[in-house]
Amino acid sequence: MKKKRPAGVERLKSRYGLMFVTPFIVGLILFFVVPLINSLMYAFSDIRFEPGNTVITFTGLKNIKYVLFEDPYFINNVVKGFSTFAYSFPLIIVVSLVMALILVQNFKGRIFFRGISFMTVIIASGVVIEFVLRYQGADITSAGTEASIMEDMINVESILTVLGLPSQISQYFQVVLESIMTVIWNSGIQTLLFISGLQAIPDQLYEVSKVEGATKWEEFWFVTFPMLSKILVLVSAFTVVELFTSKTDRVVSSAYTMMQSTNYHESTAMLWIYFLIVGIVVSLIYIPFNKYYLKRWE
Amino acid sequence: MTDLAKGRKIKQTAQKIQPILYGIFRLVILLAISYIIIYPLLYMVSSALKTASAFQDPSVLWIPKVFTGENFKKAMEAMNFKESLFSTLKFEMISALIETATCAVTAYGLARFKFPGKKLLMLMLILLIMVPSQMIIVPMTINFSQLDFLGILKLIGGIIGKELRPNILDTAACFYLPSLLSVGLRSGICIFIYHQFFAGLPKELEEAAWIDGSAPPRTFLQIALPSSSVAIITVLVLSCVWHWNDYYLAVMYTSDNFPLAVSLASLPQRLSLIGIWPGDIRNTLGVMAGCVLFVIPILVAYLFLQRLFVKSIDRVGITG
Repeated sequence: MKKKRPAGVERLKSRYGLMFVTPFIVGLILFFVVPLINSLMYAFSDIRFEPGNTVITFTGLKNIKYVLFEDPYFINNVVKGFSTFAYSFPLIIVVSLVMALILVQNFKGRIFFRGISFMTVIIASGVVIEFVLRYQGADITSAGTEASIMEDMINVESILTVLGLPSQISQYFQVVLESIMTVIWNSGIQTLLFISGLQAIPDQLYEVSKVEGATKWEEFWFVTFPMLSKILVLVSAFTVVELFTSKTDRVVSSAYTMMQSTNYHESTAMLWIYFLIVGIVVSLIYIPFNKYYLKRWE
Repeated sequence: MTDLAKGRKIKQTAQKIQPILYGIFRLVILLAISYIIIYPLLYMVSSALKTASAFQDPSVLWIPKVFTGENFKKAMEAMNFKESLFSTLKFEMISALIETATCAVTAYGLARFKFPGKKLLMLMLILLIMVPSQMIIVPMTINFSQLDFLGILKLIGGIIGKELRPNILDTAACFYLPSLLSVGLRSGICIFIYHQFFAGLPKELEEAAWIDGSAPPRTFLQIALPSSSVAIITVLVLSCVWHWNDYYLAVMYTSDNFPLAVSLASLPQRLSLIGIWPGDIRNTLGVMAGCVLFVIPILVAYLFLQRLFVKSIDRVGITG
């Protein structure tokens, strides 16, 4: 069957539409697709710089082999990255959702608390966080983690001695508290996206559920949560990217160190392997969700 | 009977108490989270104001007996504060403004029109959100060192025997160019926010404008944009924040005119260049002062924009 060509007005409109997105298409080709293909090429080749030219020679799997078998830290770093992801990801989603649910309500001091929680968005740069939460620990104690500031904030050990519990437990508490701290500092944008998603849910739905006699709990699971499904996917995608590319991620930071000493080929190979693994794992988690989501996007 | 009345009374008081208890519960959570957020900031400011001896003195908790500007002075000197601030403003902030504008255009096209290849474009948008910028930073840097568009300039240059490819690294162009084509720093999310907003905007006005003979570009400028201040503010704030804090792109693109984020990241090493070695308490304090200096401009800007921004978040409405 022949496809019907759209009528005159529709065609004109579609041309206007194309006009609006032409810069984006050009940008995608020049600054996204081509660099992506290039970087895949670099992963399999050797890059040398000569005056006025970049010489790229194909070397097969050499870089890949180096990253996988010779680099002593890579595998460890990947495992570390995934273990951080495994506990941070659900925590970030839950914390930001709870924060959003609280902050959309009407209560006294709402503006104040919102201002504070959005402050994490403003300051959430890897650099400052790293310095404030981690760096100072390196000098004062030799622990070198954010433990030192946590110890300052809540003195776990003194609480434990008051309660009469053995001090070994304090280590576990310390770890938990540390992760809570990082999680809260990393969930600013997610909270923001959730708030704007919650605001968009029509009030009628809540009125209906009230009339039908739903409890708050049921209301959350049958009204709020389904209406948030798409924003949830966006937030998850954002969180995954953030977690794996943050300045504290070891693979990324080591690749960056390599890049700065113009070791381009091995660092690209490293990043490709890393993000391929990440992509596979994440899409395995998301296959059921993804289909449903892509269908609903348009 | 009396039992029943008693039961009813208990139920009534329970209903009265419930919201109060909930309010207390909410307040506790909010206070705990605020504590976690504010504490490091206060810590940062207070240690930046301390002298090295006051920092080690356990009797000085928060407010030092003597305020010192020494840390700030050293941090400013080490960071090249004025130059760094200038490059941040020139490279990053203008790039953020450009991105805010161009992403709106792209998103309007995606949200309002049907055209062949739109599905593919939406898929590319998802990819743009998902693929970390670290993946393409190396080819981008190499390309910017010899700017070329799909090898065209090289071809022409080869024919006329001249090097036509300029090196635009360490100039503003390598920040502006991607932003101009709305594929800059996290443009994917900006486009997404705009797209959701435009999709929720009633079409009728724009259709009326079309019937009255206004071409879409004019409709966009005079009807769609004025009614989307909410989305514009949201994207503007986010884009400015991301650009201000941007480290990964800037560290690759610049080699001399470092923006603030890059100078701050290397502050411990920079401090050792002026004689304050890592391991010295003064180094830590200098870094804290550097963090304060880095945060203050954007924090002040945020405090002015806060009410506007908080309201915008309410109304930007990213729906499912």
